[in-house]
Amino acid sequence: MTETAAPDPTLLRKQVRQWIAENRPAKPDFLEPENFMFVETDEQFEYLKSWQQKLYEAGYLGMDWPTEYGGGGYPPGTQNVVAHELSRAGTPALLNIIGLQWAGPVILQFGTDAQKRRMLRPILSAEEIWCQGFSEPGAGSDLASASTRADDNGNGWRVNGHKVWTTLGRFSRWMILLARSEPAAAKYDGLSFFLFPMDVPGVDVQPLIKITGEGGFNQVIFSDAQMPRDALLGQVGQGWPIAMATLTFERGAAEGTGAGSGGTTPGIGVAQVVELAKRASRNGSPAVRDPILRDRLADMWIRETASGFARRRTAVPALVSDRPFAIPLMSKAVGSEYVQQLADLACRILGPDAALWLGDPDAPDGAGWPHAYMNSFASTIGGGTSQIQRNILGERVLGLPKSK
Amino acid sequence: MKRPADMNVPADFGFTEEHEVLRDSARRFLAERCPIEAVRRLSKDPIGHDPALWKDIANLGWAGLMVPEQYGGAGLGMLHEALLLEETGRCALPSPLLATTFAAIAVMHAGSAEQCERLLPALASGDAIGSLALTEPRASWEPSDIDATATREGSRFVLHGEKTHVLSAATADWIVAPFLVDGSVALFVVDTGVSGLSVRPEVGIDPTRRTGRVRFDGVRVDASARLAAGNAAVLAEIHHRATCLLAAEMVGGAESALAMTRQYAIDRKQFGRQIGSFQAIKHPLVEIMIGVEQARSLVYAAAAEFDQTGSGEVGDDVLVRMAKAAISDTFWYATDRGIQFHGGFGFTIDCDMHFYFKRALWSRAMLGDAPHHRTHLAKSLLDD
Repeated sequence: MTETAAPDPTLLRKQVRQWIAENRPAKPDFLEPENFMFVETDEQFEYLKSWQQKLYEAGYLGMDWPTEYGGGGYPPGTQNVVAHELSRAGTPALLNIIGLQWAGPVILQFGTDAQKRRMLRPILSAEEIWCQGFSEPGAGSDLASASTRADDNGNGWRVNGHKVWTTLGRFSRWMILLARSEPAAAKYDGLSFFLFPMDVPGVDVQPLIKITGEGGFNQVIFSDAQMPRDALLGQVGQGWPIAMATLTFERGAAEGTGAGSGGTTPGIGVAQVVELAKRASRNGSPAVRDPILRDRLADMWIRETASGFARRRTAVPALVSDRPFAIPLMSKAVGSEYVQQLADLACRILGPDAALWLGDPDAPDGAGWPHAYMNSFASTIGGGTSQIQRNILGERVLGLPKSK
Repeated sequence: MKRPADMNVPADFGFTEEHEVLRDSARRFLAERCPIEAVRRLSKDPIGHDPALWKDIANLGWAGLMVPEQYGGAGLGMLHEALLLEETGRCALPSPLLATTFAAIAVMHAGSAEQCERLLPALASGDAIGSLALTEPRASWEPSDIDATATREGSRFVLHGEKTHVLSAATADWIVAPFLVDGSVALFVVDTGVSGLSVRPEVGIDPTRRTGRVRFDGVRVDASARLAAGNAAVLAEIHHRATCLLAAEMVGGAESALAMTRQYAIDRKQFGRQIGSFQAIKHPLVEIMIGVEQARSLVYAAAAEFDQTGSGEVGDDVLVRMAKAAISDTFWYATDRGIQFHGGFGFTIDCDMHFYFKRALWSRAMLGDAPHHRTHLAKSLLDD
């Protein structure tokens, strides 16, 4: 494996800044998806796809991945520098997040050389989009109770079952699939992890309608869908530990993702809600004069600033030596709940007009605030609910006994 | 509004190996010399601290940690002091250290070279206990809300007024306090032995500290008692630094409260299960941990920012206010839940949690509570 020398972070930062200034695309005339989970239309998809392609061609994706698989071969953490700059500049969202942050890292960790050579480069270039087949109607927070079957029939596995919340499902070429291959084995030992080709017969992708009335998410129904032997990642029965490793990458708690970490500032920040409060009126006076709203806004500003410094503190090991994993592991719950409460606060600032919804000509900011509030539940529920996150933090970081 | 990225905090908080050595050696020293049994004993002691321990602490250089070397101190920065006070807060150390540190900061920032020369070496060596009196009976958290007056009488000043919640008041040798001279803020260093000065020890909520109400009834002091550079802006700077350090001490207290409750949740069994397995206990403990990590990040950032701006420059108050607001809420929550989760035992004086609970109540009431600081932050955020 080749490793390129670490670039000077200051120089890299400067180069990236300049590249962004020269290459960022114009704002589209349609709704720009705030992140990959909100892609619904073909034009939204193509817009984000061409941005990711451009970024990869410039060498700013997969910088930590080995060169033989399409990466940059730089030392771990290099991609984070770019992630910070992209986040800072507010560039368009990255499209193939499930490939970059979930599937890619676990293929690198558990895959065969052939799987790495086949799968990784098209993840970076966005030629092949990935989705995730973990959750089921009967298996949400209790993921290990998944009942989708993968039955070994000699040529590979035949899949039957139902997966939900498959973001980008209808655009995807591949799915990371957690399925029960050993029905006789104990709950946690009967699962295997597959790289499932979405183009085989027997795969029905249907839209799942969110509380906003929009699609974007999908559900996938498998009816005797056949996958080949080389679809298996790792060993038969190793599905649960690989799924757990996937979730560690997903929650931003491990190095080695294709898009890096630390750039995941929430889509909305307190500055935007301050700006809203300055122009909104409340009972005839500017909302910004209301003492209760002022207190709430100051509190949100404190929380946003604290999260920023907490992230920076993790770069100084001695400043997190009491609990090295607390800050990375808490960032998912803290960040997603922050965005949710901020969007809710914005709705409260809107006054009576908070009651208007998408499509009403008089809705303030096109009803973007109630829309953001409703969509925020995607992050407080998906990828392990905030409640599951607190179990994980309590058990793994504080060492408390298990809750079951 | 100011964005965090604009704040003057180095990427690594200016943290060095020297900081780590100080923190780790403080932790070891205090674990040995200030176990909770010592806190319990000193909580009933009339003077409230152990003079032998104070001497040893002074010999370690802690009393003069930030005092410049030319005046007998170690010449270290706010991040050093914050990390040290986090450790003293962790063990609820009953000591004149906080009061003396505050007094030294006031002299360092407001004193002339001659005054620094005269006052700082004794404070740095622990030979003198100092204190800083920032509150008056009208109970304002605004440092410039001052009723006490200093009136010129020839070459001297006559001091009138009253200061409340003065740390270590009964044991202090000198008290630094603001007075109005012709309507403007001035700072005076007053020897507690002078005629006209009286101290009434307060019955405080926090048994690990001693405070008092100090009256100045026509106290006559020489002009040299007036700190040369003491004005409203310098007082604000001193106030912010003291607030940052109190917040650091509170982080340590909250951390201990979390550690104690965590241990109890592991040890205590009810219904045949460890109570820490119940999510009604587990999730609030996680909330406390998140709160401590967030507040601690702000304290380190605020301290690092002071070290960046240096002495004499009036720093920004945003991070200090954020830190004190965040830890005031978190320390309270950690100890309020700490009492509750210890159950019936938690309600008794035999459970150590009450020391931290009372520290949380005292500390949040000093130098501005969370809503007070959020009110100020809202001005920076919304009115600029």
